Amino acid sequence: MIEIRQLHKHYDTAQGRVQVLKGIDLDVHSGSITAVVGPSGAGKSTLSHCISLLEKPSSGQILVEGKDLSILSGKALRAERRAIGTIFQNSALLRRMTVAENVALPLRNLGVIHHEMEHRVAELLERVGLADRANSYPGELSGGQRQRVGIARALALRPRLLLSDEATSGLDPEATAQILELLASLRTDLGLAIILITHEMDVVRHIADRVAQLDGGRIAEYGELRTLVANPESVTGSKLLPLHPDVVPAGYDFALTVAYRGTHIDPSWISKLGSEYGATVALLGGSVEAHHEGTLGRVEIGVSGIGEARAIEVLDGWGLHATAHSQTLHIDKANDEARIEVTV
Amino acid sequence: MSLPTESATVGTDTPWSELGSLMLPAYAETWAMVGIVMVLVIIFGGIMGLALFNTDRRGLFPHTQSHATLSWIVNMGRSLPFLVLMAAIIPFTKWVTGTTIGIWAAVVPMTIAGIPFFARLVQNALNDLPKENLAVGLVTGGSPLQIIGSTQVREALPALASAITLNTISMVEYSAIAGTIGAGGIGYLAVTYGYQRFDMNVMIATIIALIVTVQIVQFLGDRIARALARP
Repeated sequence: MIEIRQLHKHYDTAQGRVQVLKGIDLDVHSGSITAVVGPSGAGKSTLSHCISLLEKPSSGQILVEGKDLSILSGKALRAERRAIGTIFQNSALLRRMTVAENVALPLRNLGVIHHEMEHRVAELLERVGLADRANSYPGELSGGQRQRVGIARALALRPRLLLSDEATSGLDPEATAQILELLASLRTDLGLAIILITHEMDVVRHIADRVAQLDGGRIAEYGELRTLVANPESVTGSKLLPLHPDVVPAGYDFALTVAYRGTHIDPSWISKLGSEYGATVALLGGSVEAHHEGTLGRVEIGVSGIGEARAIEVLDGWGLHATAHSQTLHIDKANDEARIEVTV
Repeated sequence: MSLPTESATVGTDTPWSELGSLMLPAYAETWAMVGIVMVLVIIFGGIMGLALFNTDRRGLFPHTQSHATLSWIVNMGRSLPFLVLMAAIIPFTKWVTGTTIGIWAAVVPMTIAGIPFFARLVQNALNDLPKENLAVGLVTGGSPLQIIGSTQVREALPALASAITLNTISMVEYSAIAGTIGAGGIGYLAVTYGYQRFDMNVMIATIIALIVTVQIVQFLGDRIARALARP
């Protein structure tokens, strides 16, 4: 378990003090992937540099298994760094070292004896599927292969936390998929806590368990991915499963964004809405995504013809959550029954 | 009264057959000078180049004040033409070597001119490395010396080989200039025989020797740099 507590970071420039991080709190659980997303300038890379201990926070703590690493420096810092493995954008391998030498770098820096090092490097290259490329140079590998070497290097000292800083940006979809598959298997097999700093929502949707939305140096939204997606009001959720077209349509009494998650969504719920309430229902847009925990969906429907004020009762088990674009809709979720009350 | 002819005043050209015994010792002296100077330049210029890079923003110990001071010293060392520098530091040279002529007297100004030049070349070579190298060195738990060794010097070796080549060629040139103060070597030969005695054969031979030397140094330097490069 990695806990980030009240992390602040500011820089003093000629124009005055710039606050980049304004009190970040984040729990990263072992065996789970936490994605940190946000627009550029939100503080993602500063946060990444603080977590990888490349920069000292102005205040706050980075606790790994209860030990604050952010206050260390010099030798003590070098010794404790092993708790955190970092994967860089574009892999950042040393070009004049072979694949095996690159993976061995952290071991060599630590003074691990030669034959133990060889054994560990072979094991790591096996893990990332590049055992046959040990003597190749980075320039002879594809982007995806290079990134797998970068992951092997980050794993060399058996870290508790793996920090991936835009590790898949610039890779083609196939290589990205392979890297994500590898990260997902590391989460499960090694019980690693993984932080994914990324701007790619596709990546987050596929792999993350939790999502933190960073905005203006603060965490604007944080929660389990499935909870965020299933909440129609969630900004992060709407970014993860965007609706197309994302406009308020004309010609309907109201438009409804319905979010759902789970494995047993009744596919006929839209037509039921029409038949049970005498409404005209049209599907305006939506996206449905297979996630490792089940199906996630967000759709936008236009509804008209309900007429007077009445309630739409959504059957228990539909797993639907809804919000309207106007103030006319209230959600009343009592007991186990989801009720959508529509006032026209 | 008849005016003396030119040939009567300046003597005759050295016969081609005797050039070998004249040229070879001088050529060896040139290489002795360049060799000694390059060892000193690589050590001290290398350290200075590493210091320049590592006090800069992308370095291990960024420190604006130290960087500016170092940079100023290097610029100062590079601003004087070699001939002026050589003349200007004669008292210093005499203090260090006890003499103002000969190989050792030439080594002092050549080294002083070579160090800042090489320092800049090293700094440029390191600046051309990927920006992430420092972060890689740090997150893999490297000590400052390990980081300098594995992520800076080792990664920059091809560029450093080119820098040494360039510097060596400059030093061959400086050694010839140093010939004017009686430093010995090919330059001295060119001045005393070629210039002062109008010995055309020695002049031609020294020019050919210098051209061939520079070509060979460049050729070898390129080969080494290429051998050090990785795909």
